[in-house]
Amino acid sequence: MHTTGSISSRCNRRLMMMGAAVTTAALMLGVQPGFAQGKAPTGPIEITSGTSPGGTPDVLMRRAAKILNDEKIITNPLVVQNRTGGSWMVAANWVLNKKGDANTVLTVAQPILTTPITTGQPTLYDKLTPISMFIQGDLLIAVQPNSPAKDFKGFIDLAKQRERGIKVAGAQAGSTDHMVTGLIEKASGAKLNYVPFDGGGAAATAFLGGNVDMIVLPPSEALPLIKSNKAKVLAVLSEKRRTEPEFKDIPTAKEQGYDILWGQSWGLAGPPDMDPALVKFWDDAIQKLVATDAWKAMVKEMFLRSEVVPASQAKAHFVELHNQHLAVLKDLGLAK
Amino acid sequence: MIDSLVSLGQGFAIALTPMNLLFIFVGVCLGQLIGALPGLGPSAGMALLLPITFGIPPATAIMMLAGIMYGGMYGGTLTSVLVNVPGEAASVMTAVDGHRLAKQGRAGAALSVSAIGSFLAGVGAVIALVFVTPPLAEFALSFSSPEYFLLATLGITATASIGSGSPIKAILMAVFGLMIALVGTDPILGSARLTFGSTELLDGIDFLPVAIGIFGIAEVLASLEQSYDSEPIKTRLKDMWLSGKDWAECRIAILRGGVLGFLIGLMPGAGPTVAAILAYVTEKRFSRHPERFGNGALDGVAAAESANNSAAHGALIPMLALGIPGSASTAVLLAALVLQGIRPGPTLLVEQADLVWGLIASMFIGNVILLVLNLPLAPLFAALLRIPYEYLAPGILVISLVGAYATTLSLFSVGLTLFFGMVGYLMMKADLPRAPVVLAVVLASLMESSLRQSLMLSEGSLSIFVQRPLSAILLLLVIASLLLPLMSMFTRHRARRRSRNEQQISIATK
Repeated sequence: MHTTGSISSRCNRRLMMMGAAVTTAALMLGVQPGFAQGKAPTGPIEITSGTSPGGTPDVLMRRAAKILNDEKIITNPLVVQNRTGGSWMVAANWVLNKKGDANTVLTVAQPILTTPITTGQPTLYDKLTPISMFIQGDLLIAVQPNSPAKDFKGFIDLAKQRERGIKVAGAQAGSTDHMVTGLIEKASGAKLNYVPFDGGGAAATAFLGGNVDMIVLPPSEALPLIKSNKAKVLAVLSEKRRTEPEFKDIPTAKEQGYDILWGQSWGLAGPPDMDPALVKFWDDAIQKLVATDAWKAMVKEMFLRSEVVPASQAKAHFVELHNQHLAVLKDLGLAK
Repeated sequence: MIDSLVSLGQGFAIALTPMNLLFIFVGVCLGQLIGALPGLGPSAGMALLLPITFGIPPATAIMMLAGIMYGGMYGGTLTSVLVNVPGEAASVMTAVDGHRLAKQGRAGAALSVSAIGSFLAGVGAVIALVFVTPPLAEFALSFSSPEYFLLATLGITATASIGSGSPIKAILMAVFGLMIALVGTDPILGSARLTFGSTELLDGIDFLPVAIGIFGIAEVLASLEQSYDSEPIKTRLKDMWLSGKDWAECRIAILRGGVLGFLIGLMPGAGPTVAAILAYVTEKRFSRHPERFGNGALDGVAAAESANNSAAHGALIPMLALGIPGSASTAVLLAALVLQGIRPGPTLLVEQADLVWGLIASMFIGNVILLVLNLPLAPLFAALLRIPYEYLAPGILVISLVGAYATTLSLFSVGLTLFFGMVGYLMMKADLPRAPVVLAVVLASLMESSLRQSLMLSEGSLSIFVQRPLSAILLLLVIASLLLPLMSMFTRHRARRRSRNEQQISIATK
């Protein structure tokens, strides 16, 4: 079995990596350090993810883990573990049950907030130890390339002509695109027809096949469709326009007169009762991570943003996010 | 045409480098193994191995992962035939007939015809991939929820004709399967359904615990019941190979299965399992001896196995041409591309030509490796059945339960499997057909969500099923599949009555 190794024994790292791939058993903690002093845990660390490999949060955490290890910001082997099921509840419960554990952190994505709301389970965000939210993604509203709507206003006018006449390709009830649909309805007064397909891939398929009229896409997924003239983008739902040449001409919904602001964000949280020293350790590591060139290149390549909400503000940020999501889901009639 | 050939040549130049060859070999071997282990399907296996592709170049990684995908189609046959447990979902039909064949001492023939069928269908599908990817991708997009609903319905109504027993029993069992599939989270609204507050049931009852239980465990229970003094299945060496007669019987089945599988594989949302099921029922329609289906039809096995492999390849077309996943496995391939920093989408064919053509070339190579691996091994594996059953049974139980555990890594699945083993045993005692239950569980989620999506798209109107040309054709097929057994029942009934009347008349005249 795998036993504890000293923190910086480099020659052991390779071995530990191999061990970590086989067993992610929680390892013994060393002596507790003083307060507010960042201290690395001993042994491999699991980053729990609720999506299968390749899902956006999973990709982001794998990239982050690789850079953290490559740049030696964290020398413990970082293992991204996919614990799928129950719309992230399997992953979340795994971490919730690891009270005070030093070697497990949870990827925070939207379902951590929304699944408890839509299924009527007790909230999670206030039981976990907030670490940081450090990746943000924008969302675009796209329609069929032959749509008569020239801009977002034209699209809303079209939607108002016939109630539920505009079909929206959705991933799943209560997901991001559903909430965006709800926000559009609220801001414009139009009624849309949200059709949940099974996941983002199926939604994109339905859109490409011309079976639906509108889809909500992140910029990285929209780009190939724009390039091959399979989608027309009407608006970006952020405060400001994106600056890349590919997206700089896409106006925000706000400048077109509709106050719709929505996006995605990802980060990390620890199990309940996580040692403050460990929170500090992660907080520092993330600050160093986002300053690396490799991270900046990744953020640019995937058309994301990386604004760090540090551990000191993370708790308040979680509450704010929860309240926002709760409000939207209540409007959609999905909150239990 | 010439362009494609030139690109393919380039693809071979990439795929034939020693490093890539090694990874293709590793991929197909892993696929074979993963496919053979029940519980771990190709897509789960690919997902598991995805992280290790981090350090290797994108083209090599994709070639290896794709190898697992189609290697799994070859491997799944093994457990289906030998122990009546489908190694992966797409081999569910093979578990029905393949195992019967094994009991008749013809495991070797079943395994070799599967290998040959998979190979021919796989290579055929790759050739189609080379020449007609863009137009076929557009065709694939014309399928949407209404078509999927009707395809799934066709699979279920056709089950009435599966098995030699009564069509009514078969339909009732299919309904039982649909009921099992209702447990879990509502696919449209996301609310919990029939879970009775259990979090384990929130994800629904997966097909594998049901299949492993109803097929595998039930079989073991029923066999152990007989006081064992049995002789192992007798197999002569001659029976291990494919005879000329077998081959003549299966040629057309492979062709039909391969073409049908490819077309179904094209449709994003259907995948190899649906392909195998539909190929099997189609084959039964065309076969000269439909009564053998369900009791060990070699051509049924050939059709289903050819179909699942060509479907696995066909699913690559929407993925490569449009960047949309055609099956669970291609979804993992897409994920691998994303993890490698390549953006899939309609521009992939142009921007990543080397990768795409390298992948296509690698699939020719991989299929050849798999054929070479499988053909000589078929009689060897078949010889396993010479072991007396009382020694074999514990092994089968272990494989089945480990497989069940592997699906979710929770003991709950193991309990569920044992429960369905009991159900399957009772069904055998009551002479109820087991295949329709499993098929319905496989098809139910596609059927349910696509029906509800169709009605949402049409705002509640059923006309969506006749307005779209493709769905109108499928609807006719569904109606035909319901009427045919009824009609044959009717004619049989009349014939019987007439013969009885004639008898009476002849008595009366005496």
